Amino acid sequence: MLSPERLALPDYEYLAQRHVLTYMEDAVCQLLENKEDISQYGIARFFTEYFNSVCQGTHILFREFSFIQATPHNRASFLRAFWRCFRTVGKNGDLLTMREYHCLLQLLCPDFPLELTQKAARIVLMDDAMDCLMSFSDFLFAFQIQFYYSEFLESVAAIYQDLLSGKNPNTVIVPTSSSGQHRQRPTLGEASMLEGVEASLFYQCLENLCDRHKYSCPPPALVKEVLSNVQRLTFYGFLVALSKHHGINQALGALPDKGDLMHDPALDEELERLLAQIPGLVNSVTAGPEASCLPARTPPRVGSPWRPLHHARKVDAESDGSTEETDESET
Amino acid sequence: MIPGKYRSVSGRAASNVNCGLHLVIQTSSLPEKNKVEFKLNKETPSFPGRLLQHDLERNYSSRQGDHINLVSSSMPSFPILQRSSEEKILYSDRLTLERQKLTVCPIIDGEEHLRLLNFQHNFITRIQNISNLQRLIFLDLYDNQIEEISGLSTLRSLRVLLLGKNRIKKISNLENLKSLDVLDLHGNQITKIENVNHLCDLRVLNLARNLLSHVDNLNGLDSLTELNLRHNQITFVRDVDNLPCLQRLFLSFNNISTFESVCCLADSTSLSDITFDGNPIAQESWYKHTILQNMMQLRQLDMKRITEEERRMASVVAKKEEEKKRESHKQSLLKEKKRLIINNVARKWDLQQHRITNIATNQDGKDSDSQDHCQNDGSTISAFPEETGSLDSGLTSALQGLSVTDTHLVEVDGDTLSLYGSGALECLDRNWSVQTAGMVTTVSFTFIEFDEIVQVLPKLKIKFPNSLHLKFKETNLVMLQQFNALAELRRVDQLTVDPQGNPVVNFTLWKYYVLFRLSHFNMQKINGTEVTQNDMIMAERLFGILAHVASSELPQYHLISILGDARKKQFRYLLETKGKKPGIVNEENNDSKRLVGESTNRATLNYTTRDFYNEKLEEIKEKKKFCKMYIEDLVKEATEINMKNEALQKLWPQMFIELVRDAVMEIRNKNSYMKLCLQQITDQK
Repeated sequence: MLSPERLALPDYEYLAQRHVLTYMEDAVCQLLENKEDISQYGIARFFTEYFNSVCQGTHILFREFSFIQATPHNRASFLRAFWRCFRTVGKNGDLLTMREYHCLLQLLCPDFPLELTQKAARIVLMDDAMDCLMSFSDFLFAFQIQFYYSEFLESVAAIYQDLLSGKNPNTVIVPTSSSGQHRQRPTLGEASMLEGVEASLFYQCLENLCDRHKYSCPPPALVKEVLSNVQRLTFYGFLVALSKHHGINQALGALPDKGDLMHDPALDEELERLLAQIPGLVNSVTAGPEASCLPARTPPRVGSPWRPLHHARKVDAESDGSTEETDESET
Repeated sequence: MIPGKYRSVSGRAASNVNCGLHLVIQTSSLPEKNKVEFKLNKETPSFPGRLLQHDLERNYSSRQGDHINLVSSSMPSFPILQRSSEEKILYSDRLTLERQKLTVCPIIDGEEHLRLLNFQHNFITRIQNISNLQRLIFLDLYDNQIEEISGLSTLRSLRVLLLGKNRIKKISNLENLKSLDVLDLHGNQITKIENVNHLCDLRVLNLARNLLSHVDNLNGLDSLTELNLRHNQITFVRDVDNLPCLQRLFLSFNNISTFESVCCLADSTSLSDITFDGNPIAQESWYKHTILQNMMQLRQLDMKRITEEERRMASVVAKKEEEKKRESHKQSLLKEKKRLIINNVARKWDLQQHRITNIATNQDGKDSDSQDHCQNDGSTISAFPEETGSLDSGLTSALQGLSVTDTHLVEVDGDTLSLYGSGALECLDRNWSVQTAGMVTTVSFTFIEFDEIVQVLPKLKIKFPNSLHLKFKETNLVMLQQFNALAELRRVDQLTVDPQGNPVVNFTLWKYYVLFRLSHFNMQKINGTEVTQNDMIMAERLFGILAHVASSELPQYHLISILGDARKKQFRYLLETKGKKPGIVNEENNDSKRLVGESTNRATLNYTTRDFYNEKLEEIKEKKKFCKMYIEDLVKEATEINMKNEALQKLWPQMFIELVRDAVMEIRNKNSYMKLCLQQITDQK
């Protein structure tokens, strides 16, 4: 509690760094929006649930984009949620277009912007043939990089453009840096003949960027690792390398490793249970087409853990309904 | 003596004693023109009137020897005919030269009183040498080889002219035969009716088995009673109404196929007997009653008497046909109108979607702006439907109610309700008769934004409770999420999403998503293909976890708020409809209960139209601002307190030391401290 670095920051900045205020504001806002429903619920319980869900990463489900984007934790939770919900799509082996992935994203966040998905697709497709089909894992990892580090990537893009056009931002910003002697090749023509930029130079710029960046950025050590393997690289080559790097993925902590992407035993179990509940299904999952291909019209399925909630809702519905009725009879 | 008429004639051209006729072959130059013919004739009658048989024989025998050089002569000759006087006396007015193998008409001597002349079954090629028979009434040239009607100009008394079975190509040279009563030209090669207009006494005209292709030019035949035109190639008939006496008309075995081609017959009041058999028209289903209906004066058709019953049937059928024709005409008009309107709506839709540039409207380039602009234009054009009461009157057998304006189209066709253009959605506010509404099982939306359709789905549920099949075309379905909106309907059996104008169909997973989200409907068909058990399994497999996460992992308050939102939205839409009956309110309750009861794990997957969503976000902005301020205040308070706390922490050691020091200093002098304490106590009192 009394650590010196904590005391080094002024209060407000400390809170901001931990994004505490964001969550507080959002919690209060949610409370205000739904005060009729929540007031029966109990405010203390509400706050408990809210922050529990923040910890679990379920707070971002069906929320607006501005909230999802607000904190790194939100972004990571969103990525994780997307993975968990649509892992089955990937497991099925379907290759989808960028638009379809965007559609899936929109199922979880109705106003998710198309540009982000497009940028993610560009990473996968190396900025080529935007209508191509992509596999789930490719898209997911590229999307992770794009979404989580979106501001960082914008700056990187700017740096890349500068380097490509011959300007070295380092020489401007850091006057005494050792890279002064690494003045970029003189002519633009020469630079464009060689694809991309020099890796080491690029890394130095990035390092500076990471130092002064407010937003989250990948661990510099890992970035160095990525850049040390090649002599030159293009922007999208760099991004692809980032997306495929295990270390960065693990540093993010949202998604499992690529190899384990399709594994999620807990949810698989749940899925089996759900499949077994399909009406008219005799065997379990591997049921073949039956003689009468359509299930009988059975009553709605059972087994939801929210029974008490139903009753509560029913009561609400009835009471509300009756007020509606009286309203109607009055008019 | 047996009259030669009734005996068959044996072959030789030489004298034939049996029939009492003597043919004398006399060589003479073949007359190329009539003039020569006259000359010849003049020669022969210079003999005195009657020739005795022995004279004939004498002549014959004498002449035969003299003029037998017929054979060697290159020129053919006319035989001269002479009869025995007995014959002449017995049959003074008739002469039969049937089957005499004649190739030319012989010169007939001294028979000026002849009234009947029979040349049947010969090989005569030209009518000649009969100009002197000016009393002739009956001339029979049936079955010869005559190619042209000629040589008749002096026969002014002729009444019956039989020229059947010849090779006549043209009707001509009948100018002087004004008394003609019967003209038989059957079995020839006549292609045109002409040159008969002066035959005002003609009663029977037989033109069967010719090459006529049409019938006209019949004016002037004021006495014509019977006209035989069988076995021709007639396609149309005209001028028959100009024949005031025509009773019998035979048109069998021609090429008549429509009634219009013989419509002049309807105007003929005298016709009583007509035949059409062997024509294409007789094969038509409407043949009999059309003829009967249009020709009320007929007594016989195709040689059969027309009964009263038939007439009655014919008029009934004709009336029905008339009605049907009228109806179908109306239908085609309506269809055309419909087509035009749909085109109009389509064009407006394309404008809205910026598929075609319109120089007139302001190209703002932003979707929402131009869309509003266009929609405003649409509403100002015309607001009132042209046919209002047609809905309930549409309970006729055709059952086609049509309500039409320039900008949208609503059509009820049996079991399908079709809506074109967003203005059509207003029709759901109208009062629909229970029967019409109950029959509708399919609802089709075209050229309407899906977001707009979503808003009227509750109304649809109420007004058309039996609608089981939804069809969407050109409705801008772009996201899978939009299908969530269909969950609020009571039941959907079939869903058809036309790829045109609905990009969502291009997604690989759309069908599975629909099956997943609307699993409680147990849909049977999507876009025409049956839904199999495997499809359902796949849908669940793909998206089951989404449902699970959406329901069980959502924090409770969020779940409540989403469900609450959905319910509120529904009620809001319903509140906006007018004319609700109290019974419906119960339905609402049932529905809302059911909404919760059935598959709750999907219920959180809702769809708010973009507009509503943005609206909601706007509303939240205020709250957010307030929250921010509120939290800021709290933070300020907290930081102040924290600062104070920290300051206290800093200062505390010093303060503590001072406290201790003060206390120690006070107690240093025990005596003075005791005094001080006592004093304090007394002071307090």
